Amino acid sequence: MNAVLYKQMVKVNLQGFMNFAIGSAFYMLLMFWLYPGIAQNAGAIDQLVASMPEGVGRAFGLSGFGSAEAFISGEYYGLILLLILAVMCVQLSTQLMAKLVDQGSMAYLLSTPTTRGKVAFTQAAVMTTGLLLIMVLTTIAGFIGKAWFLGDEFEFHVGRFVQMNVMVFLLFFAVGGISFLVSTLANDEKKARGISGLIVFLFFSMDLLGKFSEQIDWIRRATLFSLYDPGKIVAGGADLTWPVIVLATVGLVTYGLSVALFRRRDLPL
Amino acid sequence: MLNVDHLTKKFPNGRGIFDVSFAVNRGEVFGFLGPNGAGKSTTIRHIMGFMKPEAGFVTVNGMDTWKEQGKVQACIGYLPGEISFIEGMTGRTFLDFMADMQGVKDRTARARLIDRLQFDVNTPIRKMSKGMKQKVGIVAAFMHGPELIILDEPTSGLDPLMQKVFIELVLEEKARGTTFLMSSHSFPEIERTCDRAAIIKDGVIVAVKDIHELQSMQRKLFEVTFRDQADAEAFRASAGLQVDSQDGVRVRVAVQGNYDKFAAEMAKYRVRNIDVFTQNLEDIFMNYYDRKEAAQ
Repeated sequence: MNAVLYKQMVKVNLQGFMNFAIGSAFYMLLMFWLYPGIAQNAGAIDQLVASMPEGVGRAFGLSGFGSAEAFISGEYYGLILLLILAVMCVQLSTQLMAKLVDQGSMAYLLSTPTTRGKVAFTQAAVMTTGLLLIMVLTTIAGFIGKAWFLGDEFEFHVGRFVQMNVMVFLLFFAVGGISFLVSTLANDEKKARGISGLIVFLFFSMDLLGKFSEQIDWIRRATLFSLYDPGKIVAGGADLTWPVIVLATVGLVTYGLSVALFRRRDLPL
Repeated sequence: MLNVDHLTKKFPNGRGIFDVSFAVNRGEVFGFLGPNGAGKSTTIRHIMGFMKPEAGFVTVNGMDTWKEQGKVQACIGYLPGEISFIEGMTGRTFLDFMADMQGVKDRTARARLIDRLQFDVNTPIRKMSKGMKQKVGIVAAFMHGPELIILDEPTSGLDPLMQKVFIELVLEEKARGTTFLMSSHSFPEIERTCDRAAIIKDGVIVAVKDIHELQSMQRKLFEVTFRDQADAEAFRASAGLQVDSQDGVRVRVAVQGNYDKFAAEMAKYRVRNIDVFTQNLEDIFMNYYDRKEAAQ
């Protein structure tokens, strides 16, 4: 870890982090603001969801609007937040490694008394910091929204809401690790973005497809996204031990591998 | 100071560098000459530890540049051939950042360099011209007072005035005992600063010579314009000169070391104009390369 590099990189990327984080936080507030109106008609909406093909409800995590976190899980954590974070992971990982190698500015970093291991580790730390920042601000926005718009009238399980946020963080810690690994091994910025984008969105759509139809349910086993199921979490009682272990391991291994491989590879600088 | 020992790296396309060896002594300015694509940058990438040698090694101050990353860079200043900085910074923030990365607190050397090169450090990097970026790069390479400075095509993008300032800077640092490795594809640039130079072609070192020796090997093409046709014809016929071509009153002569002879022959006639041609490296050392190839 190189403190100077970390500080500089966070500074350079802070604007981007904040754009994602503030956007996400406002969306959360909007959802909470809408919820009271929807909750009054929860019965009707539940019926509407029930009238849709079974797969659709499952795919988008429309798990009933009985509680605020269930509503949010369906409206935000099931799809939009995942898309936002997937885009961020692909972009940021590319910017932090492949772009510096492609454009050549990595040469400056490596011409100072630091090691490649430290540079890669620091960039991984910057990436994780960005993700953490977005998730923390989103969670805080959730609490503010609850206090501001819901009060005590509506049901809201703090524990489940926090669990959901932690799982999103872990999911993208793992997904980010994979795209960071791709970025570390690429010499070309566009290639890095293309490949990691393809992997992430393949994972994402495999999960979605698997949820649509039970016949191709098996497809979900090949994707990390199936380890995160907001519908189950907000319903309560989801066993998260296994998903937590797998996601954390995938993240740690891919980041670790990135650092190890970056130390050994030839750089076209 | 810098020791390149039997360095070999083959690329899948068959190119690369093969068995490159040379040593740069402390306090010496060493030129590294070669046409584009000859392997200069690849060699420098190995010296900087960006690439792992297939065979051989590079040491700076006795430290292997691939294995001792994190330590060896402390005594090296580096100017990359392609200048590209981290986006979203100004010249000043970049230099501050580099100084922090280098662990240098003293900013006086930097201020002096900025003053010498005359540029506005507060300009955002994305608005800088190529020459200005080159200046920022030069400051970053010099400001921490390294023992060895590696410059990859340092004067590209600089105007003639700044090239002169740059050469002065190199000579001042040299007087202070700094060692330099300077790559270039232009001999005149190397000529003014270097003590010795290596010539690389197709990934192989063809010569490591004293600069004066290289100067005598150098082949220059002069175009002499005579007053009248008869003079031109007579000059052309004079013995001992290698006449390249003649076009009316203009005669092109290749001169290699025998400047006396050239001047003496020319003085016999009335000359209107003399032009010297800028040539690429292969042409300058044409005879030398040819002899090498013939010997093989």
